[in-house]
Amino acid sequence: MHFLSRTQEISAFCAAALVFVVLELVRRRRLSEEYSLLWVVASLAMAILGFFTPVLQGVTRLLGIRYESSTAFAFGVAFGILMLLQMSVQLSRMSRAQHALTRELALVRHELEALRGPGGAAQGHA
Amino acid sequence: MKAERVLVIVPAHDEEESLPRTLAALRERAPALDVLVIDDGSRDGTSRAARAAGVPVVRHPLNLGVGGALQTGFVYAVEHGYDIGVQFDADGQHDAADLGTLLAPVREGRCDVAIGSRYLTPTGYRAPRARRAGMRMFSLIVRMATGQRIADTTSGFRAYGRAVMDVCQFDLPQDFPDAPLLITLARRGFRLLEVPAHMHERHAGRSFYTLGKTLYYPYKNLLASLMALLKRPQSL
Repeated sequence: MHFLSRTQEISAFCAAALVFVVLELVRRRRLSEEYSLLWVVASLAMAILGFFTPVLQGVTRLLGIRYESSTAFAFGVAFGILMLLQMSVQLSRMSRAQHALTRELALVRHELEALRGPGGAAQGHA
Repeated sequence: MKAERVLVIVPAHDEEESLPRTLAALRERAPALDVLVIDDGSRDGTSRAARAAGVPVVRHPLNLGVGGALQTGFVYAVEHGYDIGVQFDADGQHDAADLGTLLAPVREGRCDVAIGSRYLTPTGYRAPRARRAGMRMFSLIVRMATGQRIADTTSGFRAYGRAVMDVCQFDLPQDFPDAPLLITLARRGFRLLEVPAHMHERHAGRSFYTLGKTLYYPYKNLLASLMALLKRPQSL
């Protein structure tokens, strides 16, 4: 296996380690499959670029980039941005769900208090 | 003709001081209407003040914003078979005596949403200059988007017909239900109508539109208004 630089060698092994860490997190159910997809794709892509120098050189030529290290760096940044965007989407979805649940909880509590009658209504409230 | 059931929805966040006067005014001026306070995660005695006035309260455990509170009111109104929902601020800025004027066009089927406007007739209210400029901008956006001329896009005094509440219980901007909501409703084919309304200084407490939100509000509302133009209406 031929590496162009020590940096490429280190980043290749780091990316490979990341693939294993992500898969292990999924296996232990610390990371759900839904969120793992982008991580697996990103770390696999980085590992492939790291271990297969002809692929890295080909992609670099294809994109018109001068140095191979810049290609690896560009891929890393692009995946970082994609992941942040995905997190914002998930956050928005969770926020909507949280609002719906808050509303439902408030309405159910209101019904419960109405059923209990005036005596039990104000317990534990501001 | 069957009399419509009207629910006055009062979104309230930390309005312990203002609320008793607002609810007393509603009881005095509109005794026939049902009132519901939505306590939007207040940290003061807002819920207590409402209960003391004999008004039912739905209390959010978290603060969702004016739109979130209004949406809860719509869900309640639809579940309890109300025909019209009125949005009425807790801070005493609105005049309960205007309720008849606000409800009339919805009752008569002349519109689906009636908006109590400070700018249709000289009512003594004069907003600060920056706010006036912002209001003109949003009014222009709403006009470009919907073809309807709405001078007071930020009015928190509105009456919504049943069909509007049916839709809004699922889809409503959460923090500021102003221009974006009007654009969304107009794009869904609902008819909007402005009616003259009076505007007073708030009784006490602080406005929903606090300093921190002064910068965020125009940005968010502008973006949300433009998005309301582009977004596909949520299928129900």
